[in-house]
Amino acid sequence: MSAGMQFGFLDEYAKREIRRASLKAVAIPGYQVPYSSREMPMGRGFGTGGLQLTLSLIGPGEMLKVIDQGSDDSVNAVNLRAFIEMTCPGIETTTSTVEAELIQSRHRIPERPLREDQFLVLQVPYPDPLVIVESSEEKRKMLHGEADYSRLLVKLYEDIVKFNEITISHRYPTRIADHYVIDPSPIPRWDVPKLDQSPALVLLGAGREKKIYAVPPYTKAEPIAFEDVPFRVEDFYDQKGQRRACARCGCRNSFLDEYVDSTTGELVYRCSDSDWCDEQLLIGDAPEAAHG
Amino acid sequence: MIDVAPIWRPDIQQRNYRALLDAMARPGRVHALHGTDRAHSAALATLATLLDGEVSLSDPLALLHDTDWPMLQAKSAAPDLADYVLCVGRLPPDFEPKLGSLPSPEMSATLVLAVDSLDDGDLCLTLRGPGVRGAVELRPVGLNPDWIARREDWVDAFPLGVDMVLTDATRVAALPRTTKLEMN
Repeated sequence: MSAGMQFGFLDEYAKREIRRASLKAVAIPGYQVPYSSREMPMGRGFGTGGLQLTLSLIGPGEMLKVIDQGSDDSVNAVNLRAFIEMTCPGIETTTSTVEAELIQSRHRIPERPLREDQFLVLQVPYPDPLVIVESSEEKRKMLHGEADYSRLLVKLYEDIVKFNEITISHRYPTRIADHYVIDPSPIPRWDVPKLDQSPALVLLGAGREKKIYAVPPYTKAEPIAFEDVPFRVEDFYDQKGQRRACARCGCRNSFLDEYVDSTTGELVYRCSDSDWCDEQLLIGDAPEAAHG
Repeated sequence: MIDVAPIWRPDIQQRNYRALLDAMARPGRVHALHGTDRAHSAALATLATLLDGEVSLSDPLALLHDTDWPMLQAKSAAPDLADYVLCVGRLPPDFEPKLGSLPSPEMSATLVLAVDSLDDGDLCLTLRGPGVRGAVELRPVGLNPDWIARREDWVDAFPLGVDMVLTDATRVAALPRTTKLEMN
C-alpha cells in the first residue's frame, strides 16, 4: 500500500455513509437503504456492493473469508480477496468458515451454521423482488412501505397454476420480520432457511443498484409460500429415492453441484461448499479418505 | 502531525462503528467504545463515528463544545428536523423527531440519548423483537420514563420510527425502532 492510500481503499466519507446506511438497514429489517455507491477499480456487477460493505466493516487483525458459489478459489473470490488484502494491511484471510470473522459471499451461505461473532456479507445483483411486477421505483418503495405484496403473490401463484410448484430456483422472495420482502441474493432455496433466526448478522450490498439491506440476527425470515404449496428446498434424490452423496467426501446433507464427468459422460455430484467438503474429508468416512 | 483525540481517528472509528453495529443488531447488548475519556464521552464518540457534512445534528441543550462542531462537520438543525439529536435521558423529551416516510423510513432521526449508566438502574426494561433471542433486560440509570412512553408513539407505525443509541460515559446500547419495550 502506498503511503497516500487509505486503509480499506474507500475514503472516510464513503465509509461513514455506508456505516450510517448499514445501521438504518439493521434498524429497519429488510428495507433497502439507498447509498451513493462509489466507483471501485472493478466493474459494477462484480461484487462491488459487498466489497464496499466489507471495506467499511473490516479492521486490522480480523479474519476474512471470501467465497463465490461456495468456493474460495473461483475467479471472483480470488480477485476480491486479493484486492481487500492489498488495501487493508493487517487483516488476515482464511478459507475456513470456522476461523472466519467476516465472510463475504456470492451465491451461497456456508453449510456450517454461523455464530453470533461472525458477519455474513452477501453480494447482490438485483435487490428488489418487486421489479418483476412494478417498473417504477417510486411505486415499489410505496408498496414496500405498505408491505403490499399482493401482486408478487399473484405472480408466484401463476407459477403454481402452470407448473404445480413455485419454480424459483434462487433469489427466493423472503419476508423479513413480517414486513419487508427481500431478494436474498442468488442463493439457492437450500440456503434461505439459514437466514431465519440466524445467530450472525447478514448484510446485503448491491453496488450497481446502490442499496444496502440487512437481516438482523434472531429475526424471522420467511420464504413466501402458500398454505397448500409449501416452500421446499432442493432435495437431491436419485430415481431410486436415495439421497445423493458428494462424490468426493460422501456427505449426504449438503447442497450439491452437478458436473458432467468429461471421460465417462456421467453426472457427478459434489459439495458446492468447498470448505465444508474438505472438513467432511478430514472427518473421514468418505470414499477418498478410504483410499488414503 | 496534528494531535487529535482518539475518537476522531479512522482506526478507532472503525472499531466504534463495529460496536455500534453490534449494539443496533442486538438491542440491549452493552458495548464499550474505544477512545473515551472525561472530555470525550461515548455520546461524542458515537457522533464522531457516524457524522459528517452530509447529515444534520441538533444539540438543543448545548452539550457539545464549540470545538466539537468543526470536527463533526455536521450541519446544525432544529431537533424536529435533524438526522441526529443529542439528548439527555434525565430530562423528558420536548420535541418531535423525524420519523421518516413510508417510502423512505430511513429519513428518520437517530437519537443519541446520554444517561448516567447503562446498568444497575431501578428502571428495568424488557426488550423483545428482531436481534433479541427471546428477551433481554436493560437497566439504565437516569432515563426519564417519558422517553419510553413517547417512543411508543414514535415507533407505533412501522416502518416509520426513531432509533435510539443510549450512552453512558464509556458505553453504548441501542434501541432500534423494532424493539418492543416493557417497563417493570
